[in-house]
Amino acid sequence: MVLGTYKEALSARSTDKQIQKISQDGGIVTALLSFALDEKIIDGAVVAGPGEDMWKPVPKVAMTSDEILAAAGTKYTLSPNVWTLKEAVRQYGLEKVGTVAIPCQTMGIRKMQSYPFGVRFVADKIALIVGIYCMENFPFESLRTFISEKMGVSPELVEKMDIGKGKFWVHTADETLSIPLKETHGYEQNGCNVCLDYVAELADLSTGSVGSPDGWSTVLTRTDAGDSIFKQAVEAGLIETKPMADVKPGLGLLEKLAKEKKEKNQKTIDDRIAIGLPVPYKASTEKEDPLANY
Amino acid sequence: MSETKVISPTSRQEGHAELVMEVDDEGIVTKGRYLSITPVRGLEKIVTGKAPETAPVICQRICGVCPIPHTLASVEAMDDSLGIEPPKAGKQLRELTLMAHHVNSHAIHHFLVAPDIVPEDLMVTAINSVSEIRKNAQYVVDMVAGEGIHPSDVRIGGMASNISELARKRLYTRLRALQPKVDEHVELIAGLVLDADFPEGLGSHDQPTVASDGLYGNREFFDLDRFTEVMPESWYKDPEIGKKACSTIPLYDGVSVEVGPRARAVEYRGFKEKGVVAQHIARALEMKSALSRAIAILDDLNTSAPANVGNFDVRGTGKLGKGVIEGPRGMDVHMAQVGENGKTEFYSALVPTTWNIPTMGPATEGFHHEYGPHVIRAYDPCLSCATHVIVIDDDDRSILKEDMVRL
Repeated sequence: MVLGTYKEALSARSTDKQIQKISQDGGIVTALLSFALDEKIIDGAVVAGPGEDMWKPVPKVAMTSDEILAAAGTKYTLSPNVWTLKEAVRQYGLEKVGTVAIPCQTMGIRKMQSYPFGVRFVADKIALIVGIYCMENFPFESLRTFISEKMGVSPELVEKMDIGKGKFWVHTADETLSIPLKETHGYEQNGCNVCLDYVAELADLSTGSVGSPDGWSTVLTRTDAGDSIFKQAVEAGLIETKPMADVKPGLGLLEKLAKEKKEKNQKTIDDRIAIGLPVPYKASTEKEDPLANY
Repeated sequence: MSETKVISPTSRQEGHAELVMEVDDEGIVTKGRYLSITPVRGLEKIVTGKAPETAPVICQRICGVCPIPHTLASVEAMDDSLGIEPPKAGKQLRELTLMAHHVNSHAIHHFLVAPDIVPEDLMVTAINSVSEIRKNAQYVVDMVAGEGIHPSDVRIGGMASNISELARKRLYTRLRALQPKVDEHVELIAGLVLDADFPEGLGSHDQPTVASDGLYGNREFFDLDRFTEVMPESWYKDPEIGKKACSTIPLYDGVSVEVGPRARAVEYRGFKEKGVVAQHIARALEMKSALSRAIAILDDLNTSAPANVGNFDVRGTGKLGKGVIEGPRGMDVHMAQVGENGKTEFYSALVPTTWNIPTMGPATEGFHHEYGPHVIRAYDPCLSCATHVIVIDDDDRSILKEDMVRL
């Protein structure tokens, strides 16, 4: 199963006009974390907040919906949210922490919960992980380099970044620029080439644009906690949904991309293992399902 | 006819020690000697030549029972050597950490002495009470200092960061709710100690008490000129014991002293009693004082104020800095000197139980040797102490060099 274990797949978006306006796609992460905070399902969330440099996010402990809203929108560089979870529990005194995480961070958090070394009384206080789909992630310097050098625009002028239709897009106040995704290859983090998880398989629920029309997100609810929070938000009228069968391009595209990532990266893993490099994954020959995430 | 009773190692304490008692025909101790047999680890040597920030991280690992006093004494010694004055909030958070630790550590001791004083039908109650208090006290240390054991956020110049307002309110509420629980616990333990049938005057001695402060510690108090250190060989007056003992003997004004909760109570709270029972009572009562102090700090703490001085110059002036902290078991002194190259040139720790070691042995005298371990445990000894070694020739086991290797 290339999408991991999930209960339900739906196309969804936030009904809040303000969230729709500033969020990346359907505003699911922002809507869900705000809802969970307002309903006291969580008492704070670690989010990728704005930092000093444009487009270089800094993990922030958000304790109000305004702070969550301020962190809306995808940043195509890493925000080390896992690093701030401990601070959220310790100095901020949170007892039910929510967070947004890309697949590798989700794996890290789950591992931390299984083996809580150095995170005594932290791992058990993570109440909600909203996972986001991720093909690859760029170090900040990479991102800055290809935006300013290849696309010829200063990152400070960029208002929104996006990946879609095989291209990397940037929107400024006056123009929309794009380069083919293959032009960005080589700029991604090295670890992204051995990652077998596209859809945050271990999150409480995962979301991202792929599979749904513009302005909507595809949501996979995975755990009881994730499923229940999502259903409550839908019932409260904060999120509207459509069945996946009714939307284009549909779940097929998500499955296709997940499979492509897994196949390509499993090959890299096999190649690296063949020349004796240490890789934290098994070779395809050692696994029953060569596309499984381990 | 005299006989020698040896208890090695003494039990229900931290570290390894030996109690050697000479007894008369009735079994009454005529000469008591208590010595540390905890092996040398060389922590003071490890931090020498390294950046000043290394010392608190390494020195807190002197012990897992009271890492907080060691961390605090270490950062305070560094602060002093580097000429840093931490901001008010930083000092308050440090003190809050120590207050919570006093409550936690004293509760641990009640667990250790439970088999001596708690009757079977109350054992579960007493242990549950200890656990409940520890859980809450450690929660404070976790949140304020970053980690319950080996706190990561106690830093040179203050604390890594202030706590959030939410955390302050949460801690305040939690500690207020803990107060009746601690009162009940103290009453229980004090009652049990009085019922325990310890003979009148057990463990009392005439050595002076030394404490730098009522609860926290004060570097101004500790006067190096009044301090001397002698080698165990000359103190124990028994070459066998002297050779075996791993700690040096610190003296204040030339005599051995008692430090710890009773010493603090005598020096700052008008406490007059002596001996085992008095030590237990003073320790239990101190939990209440520490908790009240913690609540007062939380009440006063400004969570938006800076908790540290920010960047500081690690190039020291060569001043010998002193960090004097009242640990649960007594005065903990760390001394550090940072050179102009920004490296630690000298480091020395005089830990609480080291002060008590020369006092504890003689305190067993005059009573039956079966009470010996009770006297020892009343000091709540923790023997991860300044350690001394001798260099022995591998072939004939003769002593080549009598030397001090620190901690």
